[in-house]
Amino acid sequence: MSEALITAKVLHDCGHINLRGRRNDAAFVAAVESVCATSLPQALTTAASGDLRIYWLGPDEWSLVTTAEKTAALLAALNGATAGMHVAVNDLSAAFVTLALGGSKVRELLAKGCTIDLHPAAFASGACAHTGLAKAGVLLALQHVEFRLIVRRSFADYLLQWLHRSGAEYGIEFV
Amino acid sequence: MTAVNSRRVSFAGRIDRSQPLTFRFNGKSYRGFAGDTLASALLANDVALVSRSFKLHRPRGIVGAGAEEPNAIVQVGSGARTIPNLRATQVELYDGLEARSSRGWPGLRFDIGAITDRFSRVFAAGFYYKTFMRPKALWKYSEYFIRAAAGFGVAPTDADPDHYAHRNAHCDVLVAGGGPAGLMAALVAAKSGARVILADEQNEFGGSLLFATDLIDGRPATDWVAATVAELQALDNVTLLPRSTVFGYYDHNFLAIAERCSDHLGAAASGVRQRLWRVRAKQVVLAQGAFERPLVFCNNDRPGVMTASAVSTYINRYAVCPGGRAVVFTNNDSAYQAALDLHGAGATVVIIDSRRHGAGALGSLASETGIPVLQGHIVCDVAGREHVTGVSVAQWDGDPSESVSPSINIECDLLAMSGGWSPAVHLHSQAGGKNVWNEELLCFVPGVAVQQCVVAGAGNGRFSLHDALQDGIDAVGAALAKIGFKAADLTPPSSDGSAGRPTQALWRVPAALDPDRCPKQFVDFQNDTSVADIRLAVREGYCNVEHVKRYTALGFGTDQGKLGNINGMAVLAECLGETIPAVGTTTFRPAFTPVTFGLGAGENTGLLLDPLRTTAIHECHQDAGAPMEVVGQWHRPWYFPHAGEDLHAAVNRECLAVRTAVGIMDASTLGKIDARGPDVVTFLERIYTHNIGKMAIGRCAYGIMLREDGMLMDDGVMARIGEQQFYLTTTTGGAANVLGWLEKWHQTEWPELEVYLTSLTEQFSTIAVAGPKSRDVLKNAGCNIELDQDSFPFMSVREAELGGIPVQLFRVSFSGELAFEVNVASRQAATMWRQLAAAGKEFGITPYGTETMHVLRAEKGFVIVGQDTDGSVTPVDLRMNWLLSKDKDFLGKRSLARPDCVRDDRKQLVGLLSEDNRTVIPEGTQLVTDPAAPTPVPMCGHVTSSYYSASLRHPIAMALVSGGHARKDEIIFASLADGSAVPVRIVAPVFYDPKGERQHV
Repeated sequence: MSEALITAKVLHDCGHINLRGRRNDAAFVAAVESVCATSLPQALTTAASGDLRIYWLGPDEWSLVTTAEKTAALLAALNGATAGMHVAVNDLSAAFVTLALGGSKVRELLAKGCTIDLHPAAFASGACAHTGLAKAGVLLALQHVEFRLIVRRSFADYLLQWLHRSGAEYGIEFV
Repeated sequence: MTAVNSRRVSFAGRIDRSQPLTFRFNGKSYRGFAGDTLASALLANDVALVSRSFKLHRPRGIVGAGAEEPNAIVQVGSGARTIPNLRATQVELYDGLEARSSRGWPGLRFDIGAITDRFSRVFAAGFYYKTFMRPKALWKYSEYFIRAAAGFGVAPTDADPDHYAHRNAHCDVLVAGGGPAGLMAALVAAKSGARVILADEQNEFGGSLLFATDLIDGRPATDWVAATVAELQALDNVTLLPRSTVFGYYDHNFLAIAERCSDHLGAAASGVRQRLWRVRAKQVVLAQGAFERPLVFCNNDRPGVMTASAVSTYINRYAVCPGGRAVVFTNNDSAYQAALDLHGAGATVVIIDSRRHGAGALGSLASETGIPVLQGHIVCDVAGREHVTGVSVAQWDGDPSESVSPSINIECDLLAMSGGWSPAVHLHSQAGGKNVWNEELLCFVPGVAVQQCVVAGAGNGRFSLHDALQDGIDAVGAALAKIGFKAADLTPPSSDGSAGRPTQALWRVPAALDPDRCPKQFVDFQNDTSVADIRLAVREGYCNVEHVKRYTALGFGTDQGKLGNINGMAVLAECLGETIPAVGTTTFRPAFTPVTFGLGAGENTGLLLDPLRTTAIHECHQDAGAPMEVVGQWHRPWYFPHAGEDLHAAVNRECLAVRTAVGIMDASTLGKIDARGPDVVTFLERIYTHNIGKMAIGRCAYGIMLREDGMLMDDGVMARIGEQQFYLTTTTGGAANVLGWLEKWHQTEWPELEVYLTSLTEQFSTIAVAGPKSRDVLKNAGCNIELDQDSFPFMSVREAELGGIPVQLFRVSFSGELAFEVNVASRQAATMWRQLAAAGKEFGITPYGTETMHVLRAEKGFVIVGQDTDGSVTPVDLRMNWLLSKDKDFLGKRSLARPDCVRDDRKQLVGLLSEDNRTVIPEGTQLVTDPAAPTPVPMCGHVTSSYYSASLRHPIAMALVSGGHARKDEIIFASLADGSAVPVRIVAPVFYDPKGERQHV
């Protein structure tokens, strides 16, 4: 393969915070949005503010991803702002591996192992979904033209091998 | 030796004469051209005999030109890349192609099995059942020879070196079949803005137009095909898939397509060989066309007998005329085209038309061309064994029940037959749709669709070109409307719309003798099923079409009756005095044509067969040379051998180290759940059996959970972190299930409870430090909190730092020794492992694996869920009554009072000691009370865990024994595989430190 049509990169500088809370609790939403400086995303989408991106995981669950450096402060701020509320704030930074996937054939590659519709009309920039990729569960999101793939730590080696093999027909470069 | 293409005619066809190719068939070398199929190239080289039939080993030739081919079944390629059972009619020729007949051993012309044909009356329907299944004793001798003689090709024995892949796809409209109706439908859908996938099994789009002589808009039909394909190619909402068979139509409009990406390239192939498309389509247009039926007359299986449309295909598409002196035998108009094509190719032709009135427009054309037509005549027998040499023709008045007297013999080397057309209703039927008999067209046509699909073209009984094109537009218009698209306004190009004269019902061609005594009239060529076989099946009581299928093998095999089924059902109907729709069809199942195993496996092979999960400390274990044990998807270190040690030596050493000094183990695979919220106590009280509310903050407890039926589901230590926060652990294998179980109860039954559950399994790694010196190791590692018994008692939890790294410290024990579990963020787990190993060096800290963990816990009688339990074990069976709260309700509690759960003879957990003090009873061994009892000896239980205990210097075992709790000190017997019975004594299942003093220091 002369030219790689897909690039894959492990993003090491990520912190993950799992947030549970009631969307219909105005005080909770206000507290989180003031800390995050962005509104909580609607179903199957993400929201961003600076280094922070919030992924919708479920009606009462979000994943907040920021830089490793800012994670502790964000955690503290969230805990402080939601003190006394029925929430769960957990640092899961060590639980996940984050990958960035780009290139002209990236949708074709993902479609080899992912059953959801990744056509631009169905999965546009800002979309996210908890889904399967090959035999691993992943959080898949699209930011502009680059996909984010968040996978549980113990599945990362498997998924990298899968990307390596499945991407071979298009040419995949790990950067 | 390279033979010449003696049958090639001067037409251009769709072959590329500038690209000659060499190939081998049954060891002999031949020439062909790019654009040929293996079948067309064989015919060009005048190779008529291509296989031996399945049962009778009769010589067989090419009958069809596509998926329906029953005889030309070949094995292509060699070694690990070989594919068996391909239809030569669908194998594209490439340079260097090697193929051999799937059947006919040792050679086609001297087939040993042909002797069965001489005794064909013995080999009638049901022969295998009757002769070889009973007496059973004979079958073991005859099976090998029967299977070898009846075989259908050979599976490769080496691993497949090729690359197969899967691809998921979504579309608004999937069009299956790229003939006139399919192309028209795809064009309309594409121009309407829908996302379209057009799949066709052939190497180029066009379907029947690739061999038709029809004109579209006054020009050759293939011009229209080329223009339409070019138009579709230019649209980015269209995916064109040539060489792609839609082979399965499953529930929820999910369809499977086999794309053959590089099979046609031979040695030049690279990249993906085949790709499985898994398509979710909002609407499906089925435009698969129709199959021409053979006619059922005596010796209709001789090489040189072909369907008329196949003859036209070979002439017009592949520039091969399969015969020089041809007879066309038909009951309908369409075969007249084959006669015209033969005439045009320079062959002499006679048409035998069973209808007294003859054909319409095509009939006039044939007469004008000077082709003789015998109306009201039939071919009743064929002469020639390895090739047709002539036919016997009789006058016929249309009565199917009477015998006829042949009056004319015609010499010929080709017999083109047409018994009418059957729509390819396969996918419609796979989707659940029924078929409706059309008495005018004499075929089943698709009835009401069950899924989101429409049928168009010849597959819908619209046989004329004009009708097919119009039907493509109409069908896709209806489909598009259902998903909110306004169909683009297209009109069909101008083409012939004449229907011809009606087809005559002629299911079994009358012969000179009655059907049971005349030469064989084949219905299913591949399975050698004849009219007489079907009649025999009926006489022997097999009247239902599904029974007849299984008794006669009608419709089995690689072609699944694409040619013969309707004729067979009509013969059956005649036999039963029923109508064809009353008899009905057999069930259509995937795959439409066979698919390879590689296609199904895709890229999920080798390391990718199943995810291999490793802990954050995995590298350290690899560096230590630990063999791995697969636990679910996890790879866990099994034991840590020193040089020269085997499993037993290493485990004995590791066990003694933990009992006398200190060991260290990676317990990271345990499931970990954060549970919190105002109602967390209420929630957990309902899940676990013990009293949650009484747990003090900072304390741990062993907890079990039951299924509704009262059986033990999972266990683990839990800790109360705060007033409204708990930390739960689960077994390694149960982690995902338990979280799902908790979420299920919370979301569906008790949504009013305010609880959040979050998996921490991957966030934290767990390192167990166990043994009398474990406290010293932690101190040495720089622990910042007091670790003495008073400050940090057994079964409690503390936040701490070890060497500056924040950890959660649990004082719990799965070995019965003083022990700690260190929870650390996974990113720092390997560092922590190394720090603890260094801190423990002076105490002889010993890494240990899953095997030692198992021995240590068994010495203490701690169960492992899934090993000592199997989903049929209650906590009472395990003597865990102390864990069952009487003060509250919990899942499974009421089931424990069921009569079955309080039987005295339930299998209950006990310990076993071998009376000889040295036999380690294999796990799984059955236990008996009296080994001398008459067989079958009643079994009273089985061994669940069994090890040699280095600390105790004798074997120990745990077992589930019927009524075991009341049988202490009884001697029972372990029944070993070698037939011996080893006496074992029932004891309490706690072998080491029964008072539990060692963990409280």
